[in-house]
Amino acid sequence: MNAERLKGHLDMLLLSVLAHGPGHGYEVISRLRESSEGAFELPEGTVYPALHRLDGAGLLASTWEVVNGRRRRVYRVTAAGQEALAQQAGQWRAFSGSISRVIGGATAGLPRGIQAWGLA
Amino acid sequence: MTGGSSDSALKDPVEEYLDRLLVTLPGSPRQVRHTLAEVEAHLRDAVAEGIAAGLPEVEAEAAAVRRIGPVHEVTGRSAVFTRPTAALARRVVLTAALVGGIALVAVGISGLVAWLLVVVRGDQFLTAPWGPGAYTAADCARWMAGDPGHNCMAAMLNDHVGDVLLQRMAAGVLGVLALSGYAVLRRRWRDRATMTALPVGSAEALGAFLALLAALGTIAAAVDLEMTQRGAGAGQPFSLAAGALLATVFFAVRLRRVVTRPAG
Repeated sequence: MNAERLKGHLDMLLLSVLAHGPGHGYEVISRLRESSEGAFELPEGTVYPALHRLDGAGLLASTWEVVNGRRRRVYRVTAAGQEALAQQAGQWRAFSGSISRVIGGATAGLPRGIQAWGLA
Repeated sequence: MTGGSSDSALKDPVEEYLDRLLVTLPGSPRQVRHTLAEVEAHLRDAVAEGIAAGLPEVEAEAAAVRRIGPVHEVTGRSAVFTRPTAALARRVVLTAALVGGIALVAVGISGLVAWLLVVVRGDQFLTAPWGPGAYTAADCARWMAGDPGHNCMAAMLNDHVGDVLLQRMAAGVLGVLALSGYAVLRRRWRDRATMTALPVGSAEALGAFLALLAALGTIAAAVDLEMTQRGAGAGQPFSLAAGALLATVFFAVRLRRVVTRPAG
């Protein structure tokens, strides 16, 4: 997926990944890659400004912990972060649902192979 | 694979990346240390993962650096901010804003001193009257219209004193604006690349040198006017010297503070 397009949704994705449990930067990226089955490939460094911004905004909280022998900054979603995630996820579902309905309608009359190509 | 200054450490892609990141990261020293530690842990994890997957160490390091992306991805700033020339340009702008701002404020303060000198020693001490033939009857009429009840000479002096005080006040206001701009830019450009583009205290040393030079020059001019013109007009260089001396003291104190401040 286009990295620039992905960056527009990075805050929601990071909150979503961390909502499943606390994690440090490298873990967050690994989980993001795994849960997207490799679709979300972006420069890994991109997540740090986003994590710091969310931390500064109070949507994440961070602590320094020693994990596997290395000192790491571990992030957790705060209550405000949970609320923001629920709100952003709701907006995204509504938006993507509308897009799917439009695209689905436009490609309904096309052969199945072309429909699949258009939706890929 | 710990950091160090040996040749092998210098060629280590991870070490080189962290060096570049260190001089580019914005924020307070603590924020810089934290981000650096965080990114180093990330890179070491990625290298360990690469080695575990069968890559030779050098290739695993190169892959880790490639995957994390350019330094500006971590700093969250435009790539232009990572260029050394841009950092130098930002530092020069900060220096000019600080030195220029203080210089203009000093001129503004000299306006207050000039006003006091006028109160104590009269208009002629601040502005020498123009010689005969240097002004016309129309000039006289204009000055006297703005200062009714006085003769042409007194009205001219009053007008010129007003001009001097107004110009200095305007310089002071411009100086405050320049210093406000400096404060805003200083907060925005806190990355180490900008801060280390010029030696520590260079702005203060330049300011102290220029202010001292101005103070000495204006004192010499004032003494010369005292001796050759019986003080007529000496108030201008005298008041400027007072402002320049204050600026010299400001920069000297600040220079001492930044030079003796512990690094970090």
